[in-house]
Amino acid sequence: MKKQTNYSPAHLLYLKKYRRKNILINVCRISILLVLVGFWELAAQLEWVNPFITSSPSRICKTIGELYENDTLFYHVGTTLEETLLGFLIAVVSGYLIALGLWWSEAARKVIEPYLVVLNALPKIALGPLIIIWCGTGSEAIVFMTVLIGLIIAIMNMLNGFMATDANKLLLLKSMGASKLQILTKLVVPSSLPAFISMLKINVGMAWIGSIMGEYIVSKAGIGYLIVYGGQVFKLDLVMSAVVILCVLAAIMYAIVALIEKLVIKNDR
Amino acid sequence: MKEVLRFDNVSMRYHSKQGETVAVEDLSFSVHEGEFVAIIGPSGCGKTTLLSLAAGLLTPTAGKVVSSGISFGYMLQKDELFPWRTIEKNIFLPLEIKKTNTPEARARAIALAEKYGLKQFLKNYPSSLSGGMRQRAALIRTLAVDPDMLLLDEPFSALDYQTRLNVCDDVYKIIREEKKTALLITHDISEAISVADKVLTLSRRPARVVAEHELSFPESEPLKRRENKEFSKWFEILWRELNV
Repeated sequence: MKKQTNYSPAHLLYLKKYRRKNILINVCRISILLVLVGFWELAAQLEWVNPFITSSPSRICKTIGELYENDTLFYHVGTTLEETLLGFLIAVVSGYLIALGLWWSEAARKVIEPYLVVLNALPKIALGPLIIIWCGTGSEAIVFMTVLIGLIIAIMNMLNGFMATDANKLLLLKSMGASKLQILTKLVVPSSLPAFISMLKINVGMAWIGSIMGEYIVSKAGIGYLIVYGGQVFKLDLVMSAVVILCVLAAIMYAIVALIEKLVIKNDR
Repeated sequence: MKEVLRFDNVSMRYHSKQGETVAVEDLSFSVHEGEFVAIIGPSGCGKTTLLSLAAGLLTPTAGKVVSSGISFGYMLQKDELFPWRTIEKNIFLPLEIKKTNTPEARARAIALAEKYGLKQFLKNYPSSLSGGMRQRAALIRTLAVDPDMLLLDEPFSALDYQTRLNVCDDVYKIIREEKKTALLITHDISEAISVADKVLTLSRRPARVVAEHELSFPESEPLKRRENKEFSKWFEILWRELNV
């Protein structure tokens, strides 16, 4: 459709209001953050609360600065990032492939279903001791934990996406004489793209849970390690700093997935 | 006229845990080359089963469906255009499926689309087209592989009344111009009368043929037929037959 450029005054007014509303929302968002951070700092400075327990924005900045100066910031961030991304990729790719297999074979789907449900309900952290014994105390154990947490959800989400393929479109392809492989490549995979994106979004969160939980159980480095260590030696500034870093990283990863979504799903459905 | 499709005492039963359903019983009729046959019946009488049987997607539990080696093109209630493909790519879909995606076949499909007014939409996504245009694109997609016979499963029922009359007229003209045999299934009596050479009425489930009528109108276009005096006469006859 062509874009109209000579708008009526009423439409211009509407656009103006729309833009104003957007700006207002952004201003509110940012001011909530600023007010909260400011109040926190003020409360700590004036010792309304004990900054040793609550920490404060300035102490967090100082701690992150120290981590940076003794060259451990990027070491810890890098360690966790590597574990998270590796676990995320393995869970997403194998989850997708397993879901494809289950879509392909109805028999396999029916047989596997109760296992999926039970495994999904099982808190994976219960497997912690086993993971340490199986994978050792290195990064492998943490990646394994991340995969465990993400995989089942990835399979279930993708399988739902595949099974939701429009029955009439299936009938259409069958009437054209399409093979199962053609149905898969021409219809099932492209039509489940939104399900794939939402699976990615869910798994970003799952991957962080997995890696941090893995580091709680066993680790020598990483953001989860900093949190556990900070808690044990009562350096709550360190705990808070690690949480802030985590927030930033998770937001960046989510933004990347949102960008992928924008690039992949161009036409409105 | 050559007979292209024949149902010989065809029955179809579905089995499920709750029991069995007889969708179609002892059904016989035939379609000849170049004919436009409409089948009408009360809703839920197994009409879609009938088309699937004709297309060979289902095998009858008894009786025989004989088709003389013809190819089918299926058109459904909704256009079922794939929203992630442009109109052009949608039209090429059956070529890809049948592995006849040659430059000549593509050129033929494009020529067909241009002939029927889709030229400016070829690079557009379906979401930017009106309901009528989308259904037209769906018809061109069906015709892209040059099928001998079209199976139309209530292809206009998802459209609003105004659009339906126009699209019906449109599709009818295209099918006639391309000299295709067509089997239309519908619950809309007036739609059947306005397009068909032959109308079959079916009973409630299990579907059997109640009556078969040859229609002869001096006019051929659906919209003109609707103005003919005969039209209301036929409507009454078919209406009674459906309500026995």
